[in-house]
Amino acid sequence: MTTNTVVNVHNLEKTYGKANERQYKALKGLDFTVEAGEFVGIMGASGSGKTTLLNMLSTLDVPTKGDVVVNGHDVTKMRGNQLADFRAQEVGFIFQDFNLLESLTAEENIGLPLALKGTPSRVMDQAIHEVAETLSIADLLQKYPSELSGGQKQRVAAARAIVHRPSILMGDEPTGALDSTSARELLDLLTTINQKQHMSVLLVTHDPFSASFCQRILFIKDGQIGSEIKRGEQDRSAFYQQILNELGTFNE
Amino acid sequence: MLGKLALAGIKNRRRDYLVLLAGLTMSAAIFYMFANLATNRAFLKANAVINQASLIFGFGAVLLILITIVYIMYANSFLLSMRQHDYGLFMMLGATRKRIGELVFLETLILGAIATAIGIVLGLLMSQFLVGLLLDMLGLHLAHLSAFYLPAIIATAVLYVGLFILASLFNMVRLTRTTVLKLLHTDEQANQPKIHPFRQMVAAVLGVAFLGIGYWALAAIKTLQVAAIPLALVTITIGTYLLFRATLLVIIQGLRRTKWAKRHLNGFLLGQLNFRVYNYTRMLTIVSLLFAMALGAITVGSGYHRQLPLMANSIGTYTVAIHDKNTQEQALIDQLNVKHQATYTQKRQGKVVYYNAAELQQQPFELSKSAQLAKSLKHPKFYTESLTKFKKSGVQNFDFQSLAVRKDMGFYTPKILSAKQFAKQSGTTMTVTTVRVKDLVQDQKVLKRLNRMEVKRFALPEQITVGNYQSYEMMSGIFGGLEFMGYFLGIAFLAMLASCLMFKILSGAPGDKQRYRMLYKIGVRQSLMRRGIAKEIGILFLIPGIMGVIDVLFGLQMFKPIMASPMSPYLGIGSIFAIFIGLYAIYYAITLTLYWRIVLPKAPTN
Repeated sequence: MTTNTVVNVHNLEKTYGKANERQYKALKGLDFTVEAGEFVGIMGASGSGKTTLLNMLSTLDVPTKGDVVVNGHDVTKMRGNQLADFRAQEVGFIFQDFNLLESLTAEENIGLPLALKGTPSRVMDQAIHEVAETLSIADLLQKYPSELSGGQKQRVAAARAIVHRPSILMGDEPTGALDSTSARELLDLLTTINQKQHMSVLLVTHDPFSASFCQRILFIKDGQIGSEIKRGEQDRSAFYQQILNELGTFNE
Repeated sequence: MLGKLALAGIKNRRRDYLVLLAGLTMSAAIFYMFANLATNRAFLKANAVINQASLIFGFGAVLLILITIVYIMYANSFLLSMRQHDYGLFMMLGATRKRIGELVFLETLILGAIATAIGIVLGLLMSQFLVGLLLDMLGLHLAHLSAFYLPAIIATAVLYVGLFILASLFNMVRLTRTTVLKLLHTDEQANQPKIHPFRQMVAAVLGVAFLGIGYWALAAIKTLQVAAIPLALVTITIGTYLLFRATLLVIIQGLRRTKWAKRHLNGFLLGQLNFRVYNYTRMLTIVSLLFAMALGAITVGSGYHRQLPLMANSIGTYTVAIHDKNTQEQALIDQLNVKHQATYTQKRQGKVVYYNAAELQQQPFELSKSAQLAKSLKHPKFYTESLTKFKKSGVQNFDFQSLAVRKDMGFYTPKILSAKQFAKQSGTTMTVTTVRVKDLVQDQKVLKRLNRMEVKRFALPEQITVGNYQSYEMMSGIFGGLEFMGYFLGIAFLAMLASCLMFKILSGAPGDKQRYRMLYKIGVRQSLMRRGIAKEIGILFLIPGIMGVIDVLFGLQMFKPIMASPMSPYLGIGSIFAIFIGLYAIYYAITLTLYWRIVLPKAPTN
């Protein structure tokens, strides 16, 4: 494993149900890596195991077998507070349903990961305003989530996910609840973050349009990696076509 | 089929239901015990020596009913919050509203009926044991108190079942009127209250003014008479509400701008409180009042308990006076912690009792400074005078006169003769022994036996003996009812108010569950979440607690006329406050544990 690898998944298996009950294998031995600064998409139909995989990577769930190494930490060996601290420091999340705390303003939501680390308030303020500029939400900071549109909420969520500079940003269908304009804006922002800040991004989606912003796409089917395509030097719309073609044959 | 599903839903949350059932059962049991006391005519007649007692019982009953209503309201909203998601799901699956309505109605009513039935049985048992114990501990004599009293059972059953029918109807209407989608997504929208500086200011000023009027009314109970209590209740309620409305938000939002808010979960805590406190203002107001009433009742009750012996100790100069003591009585006297003892020979003739000057010279009769002069109730000052002085003034002394009581309840006129004259004087000869003990309560049991023997041997038309112990017994009889009421109402109020608070807070738990799930996802440590919840709930308990203590400190003024100097409602309230706050803290701990269990996300396992 080189230091340039952010995520290294080896022989990952997840089985639901107890040994004496009827069991269901959600993941059947996955192997893949994500290099530093990569923008990787994971695609697959419902029930293919995408979300299970993301839960393993983000330590929200525990694998049955195999290793997951994120930025040098073997997450399968962590317990209790280590897991919480790992999520707080190494991973940034964007969820389909935003997961913003409606009792806090946008600014307080964004500042939460820094507050958890015990960052001094001056440093915190600066970090919040920097990330707010990047995501053009500076004028929304004092508002509560209920006063924001879906697109704005997701940008606030994105800000919260990157404000503490995690080693990887994970998105679980982040455009799922957005209209097409907002979705496009968000994906553009993710691309900018990926390129300017060299932050690795792992995007789980079933939407080909969202996936077309990635550099590399892994297709999961029935708990295994079925195929992999790379964007290379193509422009986005050509890559989009390639994805559609791949989906067409992949699901056969 | 739907009934089965509903039952399965209850089974899944049987722990929460147990808590709910236990709370309702306790409430019914307490109400039964109170109804037993308040409606038991024979008991009231035997104990209501002063007419205020029946008034206080009536007042207590009204308060208890009010609290019961509020309590059932909150318990019901907790029940509804647990069930609405399930019922929404059933409706989505095609159950008719009518059927759901029936189910909700039945569920609430059955739960209520079970709670009432168990509660009455529990109340019977508790009356049997606890009342006996409490009375024994307090050394009170409440005659004609039996645990089983049919009218009380009927009153409890009617009130509770009636309230539960209302609650069931309310739930039915509420569930059948709400849309399915709302039932399924009940995550409460945290509305963010805005601050209007001018309005807040006005509210604060008005709040303080109302509180001032309320506190004044309590202090001025002598002039306002019975009107003081309703006036104070209304003004203090409005005042507390306005004050909470005006200040809590400002404080919280002020704190949110500080650096402190940017550390760990503090910001989240303040955000939670911000919308909670606003939604809870009404409840916090009620709870603060109940807190005050409970604490006040216990303080007053214990005030009587602690101060009666003090009062009795300072009334006269001897604890008991035994006439013609026999060996058995002497043996009892030897068991006492005697501070001062004297024996005089009396010769009674006509309306005069003669004393021997030589005896009085040898053992001067003790006098005491009146309580006001002695200043301290705890240390009445005793002194003796020279015989010449005593001959002039002492014979007018009430304590001295009391040593010889005539059958028509008047006193023999005391006359002091020289030893020679005394020997010549004819008349019924008897001795009287005065005993003053160090602590009346400490020697209570022996004193009781002594007193009984004296009464048996010298049964005057009205069974009367003299001395501080006798006064103590008499006052216990008079104030015993009040004291008992104080303790009883205090404990009942506390149990119910804390349960109200508990259920109100717990019914917010399902909404919080999601928030803590989010925090868990973004990597907040369990310990940090636990501490955060402890702080949040702690503050919700603390606000009415503080306000309640302030209310009590002012409200005790009300009892000044009843607890006339040298007693004072404020004497030694520290320990009672401590015990009360301890009990309140237990409720906090229970609420917190339940909250943790509902809200905290569980770590994944293999």
